[in-house]
Amino acid sequence: MLLANHPLLGKTITGDQTSKLTIRVAEDVARFSLRIDPASAPSAGTAFGAPLPTRIGGMVETGGRTALQLGPDEWVLTAPVGESDGIADAFAALQDPHSLVDVGHREVGILVEGEAAALALRSAIAFDVEAMAVGTGCRTIFDKAQIVLIREDKNRFRIEVWRSFADHVWGILQAVSREIALGI
Amino acid sequence: MTNFRIAGKGRVNRSRQIRFTFDGVDYAGCEGDTLASALLANGVHLVGRSFKYHRPRGVLTAGSEEPNALVGTDRGNGRSEPNTRATVLEVFDGLKTESQNRWPSLTRDIGAVNDALSMLFSAGFYYKTFMWPKSFWDKVYEPVIRNAAGLGKAPTAPDPDTYASRFAHCDVLVVGGGAAGLAAALEAGRSGASVILCDEQAELGGSLLSEPAAEINGQLAWDWLEDANAALAAMPNVTVLPRTTAIGYYHQNFVGLCQRLTDHLAIVPEGAPRERMWKLRAKQVVLAQGAIEKPLVFAGNDRPGVMLAGAARTYLNRYGVKVGNRVVVVTTHDSAWHAAFDLAQAGVEVAAIVDVRGTVPSQLAAAADALRIRTLIGWTVTGTKGRLRVSSVRVNPVTNGGKVGAAETIACDALLMSGGWTPSVHLFSHTQGSLTWNEDGQMFLPGRGMEECRLAGAGKGRFGLKAAFEDGAAAGAAAAADAGFGAEPAVYHVEGELSFTGVTGRELPTDRDPGHAKAFVDFQNDVMAKDIRLAVREGFKSIEHIKRYTTTGMATDQGKTSNINGLAVASDALKRPIPAVGLTTFRPPYTPTSFGTFAGYNKGALFEVTRKTPIDAWAEENGAAFEPVSLWRRAWYFPQVGEDMHAAVARECKAVRSSLGIFDASTLGKIEIVGPDAAEFMNRMYTNAWTKLAPGRCRYGLLLGEDGFIRDDGVIGRLAHDRFHVTTSTGGAARVLNMMEDYLQTEWPDLKVWLTSTTEQWSVIALQGPNARKLIEPFVEGIDLSEGAFPHMAVATGKICGVPTRLFRVSFTGELGFEINVPARYGRAVWERLFEAGQRFGITPYGTETMHVLRAEKGYIIVGQDTDGTLTPDDAGLGWAIGKTKPDFVGKRSLSRPDMLAKDRKQLVGLLTTDPKTVLEEGAQIVLDPNQPVPMKMVGHVTSSYWSAELGRSIALAVIQGGRSLQGQTVHVPMPDTVHAATITGMVFVDPENTRLSA
Amino acid sequence: MLLIRCPYCEAERPEVEFTYAGEAHIARPADPSALSDDDWRDFLFIRTNPRGRHFERWRHMHGCGRFFNAVRDTVTDKFAMTYKAGAPRPSDEEIALAASVKEARP
Repeated sequence: MLLANHPLLGKTITGDQTSKLTIRVAEDVARFSLRIDPASAPSAGTAFGAPLPTRIGGMVETGGRTALQLGPDEWVLTAPVGESDGIADAFAALQDPHSLVDVGHREVGILVEGEAAALALRSAIAFDVEAMAVGTGCRTIFDKAQIVLIREDKNRFRIEVWRSFADHVWGILQAVSREIALGI
Repeated sequence: MTNFRIAGKGRVNRSRQIRFTFDGVDYAGCEGDTLASALLANGVHLVGRSFKYHRPRGVLTAGSEEPNALVGTDRGNGRSEPNTRATVLEVFDGLKTESQNRWPSLTRDIGAVNDALSMLFSAGFYYKTFMWPKSFWDKVYEPVIRNAAGLGKAPTAPDPDTYASRFAHCDVLVVGGGAAGLAAALEAGRSGASVILCDEQAELGGSLLSEPAAEINGQLAWDWLEDANAALAAMPNVTVLPRTTAIGYYHQNFVGLCQRLTDHLAIVPEGAPRERMWKLRAKQVVLAQGAIEKPLVFAGNDRPGVMLAGAARTYLNRYGVKVGNRVVVVTTHDSAWHAAFDLAQAGVEVAAIVDVRGTVPSQLAAAADALRIRTLIGWTVTGTKGRLRVSSVRVNPVTNGGKVGAAETIACDALLMSGGWTPSVHLFSHTQGSLTWNEDGQMFLPGRGMEECRLAGAGKGRFGLKAAFEDGAAAGAAAAADAGFGAEPAVYHVEGELSFTGVTGRELPTDRDPGHAKAFVDFQNDVMAKDIRLAVREGFKSIEHIKRYTTTGMATDQGKTSNINGLAVASDALKRPIPAVGLTTFRPPYTPTSFGTFAGYNKGALFEVTRKTPIDAWAEENGAAFEPVSLWRRAWYFPQVGEDMHAAVARECKAVRSSLGIFDASTLGKIEIVGPDAAEFMNRMYTNAWTKLAPGRCRYGLLLGEDGFIRDDGVIGRLAHDRFHVTTSTGGAARVLNMMEDYLQTEWPDLKVWLTSTTEQWSVIALQGPNARKLIEPFVEGIDLSEGAFPHMAVATGKICGVPTRLFRVSFTGELGFEINVPARYGRAVWERLFEAGQRFGITPYGTETMHVLRAEKGYIIVGQDTDGTLTPDDAGLGWAIGKTKPDFVGKRSLSRPDMLAKDRKQLVGLLTTDPKTVLEEGAQIVLDPNQPVPMKMVGHVTSSYWSAELGRSIALAVIQGGRSLQGQTVHVPMPDTVHAATITGMVFVDPENTRLSA
Repeated sequence: MLLIRCPYCEAERPEVEFTYAGEAHIARPADPSALSDDDWRDFLFIRTNPRGRHFERWRHMHGCGRFFNAVRDTVTDKFAMTYKAGAPRPSDEEIALAASVKEARP
């Protein structure tokens, strides 16, 4: 197999010694964009092997597979990289009209962790990040880049960003982490 | 140097001395000083020259409303700023400052000749003086004016600082940390609401900092303040932001705050941003911005040493600085009397209090008597003397009938004035909130609001500490309640209040000709009362017009000290009451704000997103020159040692046509269209017919707007019955997807089809040239590449170099070509492997310029270059791409509108210059007859123009009226120094039979 | 920056997530070829451009991706209500009701 590559490969930002903030690249995952009539969500969940959330922003994780609902008929499905072909095959057999598109290489995941994680994100995200519920996700704008933001835990967020925007997001996080390390 | 610091007065830290310079002279200040207080402590009043007349000017105020004391600052390491207000600039060790608008020096300034010639520089002077002769404007007037005009010197080097931004959400925002703001924040904080309290100064307190003798709930003001600070700090739900100015108030309680982070530091930590823009959304806002003291309008009111009485009091009580040794006070308002009292008690000689009013409260008169201060009640000020500092004031009695009596001159080195107070309603006005005129107080007060907002204290005309505390507490509690938190406002007892009655003076009465009085209304813009009267005489009736004609209330100061005085003068001249004259609009920002703060992180590499493909790094390592294409940067050409762009492109073109070129096409927009109705959707969107396109085949697709004009194009592959792989232009990707979603969601929601952007899922490697197949054959698995099985415009999925691929047999060069789509993370690796294996074919990487030349040689258009939003498919020679039998598609109906069928529409054609060496300029205009008189009739323009190495001559594409019917005719392209002749041709210059596509 | 309520997400989101998409309730004719040139011109180009209440389209482009409709005052910039694409134009009463519910929100 050839060498896989993306703009942030192997990068980490350690904010400061007290590790109020750590920013690193997430491990690679398989990603699919699933579009289907919400009425068919249960059968799609069967195909995926994990139930789909039923409200926008909702996220369900089952056995390493995660479904996040981004729009009325739009979900992003993630799974370990090796399970990609199996998921594609399962959906190929699904009778309900739908669209499953592999977007695994479209995006890069960035993990923003620590006590100051929400503060760091507030530098470039306009909605109230502090008020975001744990276990939810949404598409939004980070500075000038579209991202999907997921709150995995109180102090752990995941950014999913198209690969050509990743450098920009990373650059801003770098500047922000410096401010936070300086405490100003 | 004389020391004007008074022992036992003020809050500055005397044990911590600060060294700084002003105009190269070394001075000492104290920690806690502003530049203004430190200079005044050294006896320096003269700090600058005014911007129009170059009149000597001193410190007028003690706050951000300062119109005079604007200085240039140098904070070291290339950090410099013009027009910093000395009254807010905190001194630190090593600070360098200099005065502005003077040459060669502050005390001897050539430009001051303007003052002597001031009769020539009256209102509207630019408009009147320089209208004739017209030709003088560019060469004479403008350069001279540009050289002389302007405030301060803009830095010439790039700003070395970085800036930050932050979004925040809170229940209650309190703007202003004076008595009212503190009370509001304490109330809201205690309720449990999340609170942000911002104040533009380095420490909270506002006017309390100048009122050490007042008692609040039995505590001295500064003790109370210390406790209040501690109480706020102890509340985790309260964020206090000092050095933070609310600069703009926008819809839905969105407020911009500029926080100054490092300007006050002698040593700035590496990587620390200078300022931060807070973009704050508050459920409730309390504006407690206080009031600004008004100057009085009289001749010579702008000399150094003439300042606002309240400011003098602040310099004394807060900074421990006396502003003079012998002062005179002139006022129409009680508050100025307290400045006189405080100064007298501190040992300063107060030569007189001149009160323009006929009577004053008896307790003030009694207090003045007790301090043996001479009082002149019902007197006026008619002039001042002193070149660089006031030396005397001319005063006259005014009789009941308004007659001005004989003058007396009183020597002084400071003249303190007060014309009353103006509530600061700027932020409220930003929200389109209405203002209503309060006749009693002669001030505008907030009327109907548009936002979830309250005002408190002096900012809404409730003057005095008790009123401020009570009003602030009530506003804070009510704001918290409206945000969902219960609160009961505390009660405040205040002793030692100032008295706060007074009248708003018009221009002071005088025994001299007011038409000659240099009585300033707007100090920053050098506007005098007589300028406003002149504007009215010349027919300006609207205050907005008077403002622009005279420039009063404009620029950085936004009329903070001048607005009401200007309005009063205009009102008198117009013989209309003030509310009938109206108020000009206050605009954000409230105080001058650096561009850096607005830019935030978006400077340098982060100025804008720079999108890079997976292969971009390889291109960089291999010496590519880049060009921006929408947000992407793309490899433009790959110069070898000694090559210029022309040579590199010629070599790259030759390599593709003769053997093999490799090109990064990853930026092409890609949309996956999936669902049982995919073909039907394609039929409705694109001009072409899609139903019969077999899976495994591609078609050139043309997309129109509903207006019938070309919007985008691209090769579209059908992967399966229900799955299309659409490509779009690089710049059109997002626009096309948005347009498709619009139709799908809102016009045809019944269609079972979905759209997904896959632009960045795939890396696209274009291999073009006669050896393309030979190169990839050994690497491809699962696809029969033979001509019969995989002809031009075929698509298939399989593997290349062991990774999945969508392989397209397409050509944008006219050569045998493939576009290899591989998952993005493998893009570079596949590229490198093909590049390595391609060495035996002399594989040549090429960039966008070569791509452009090769496609132009074939007459393939680029949407947005050869089309401009006014070309129909027929105009572009693409009539063949229209599915004639389709009943409808986006834009079809427009194609039969009369204008679209006109005979003289501009059509895309080829153009060959008579001189084959001439490469026309893209955008150059085309005429039929070069000898016609100017202005010539232009019939079209050049859209694409290149040197074709293949043909050994130039080629061009152009749009020309009725161009296709003019084939073979000569047209002309006039340029500044010559006229080029060219012949209209077909659009295909190379291989018109397309034999090479299947080579 | 405005806050806009997305009727699909059922949440107020910042303006940067949205794009404006012109006047609402202008449906593409089912059979454009049946329209006269003047009628087609009106469909393409003629808009009401009112001072005050405006029915308009927005897209939650960088959110759920949906187009929807809004009633906004072009003088004050205030949104009276938003509603899903395809829903009928709300009546004066419905708009007044929606606006009053919004005002009453704590």
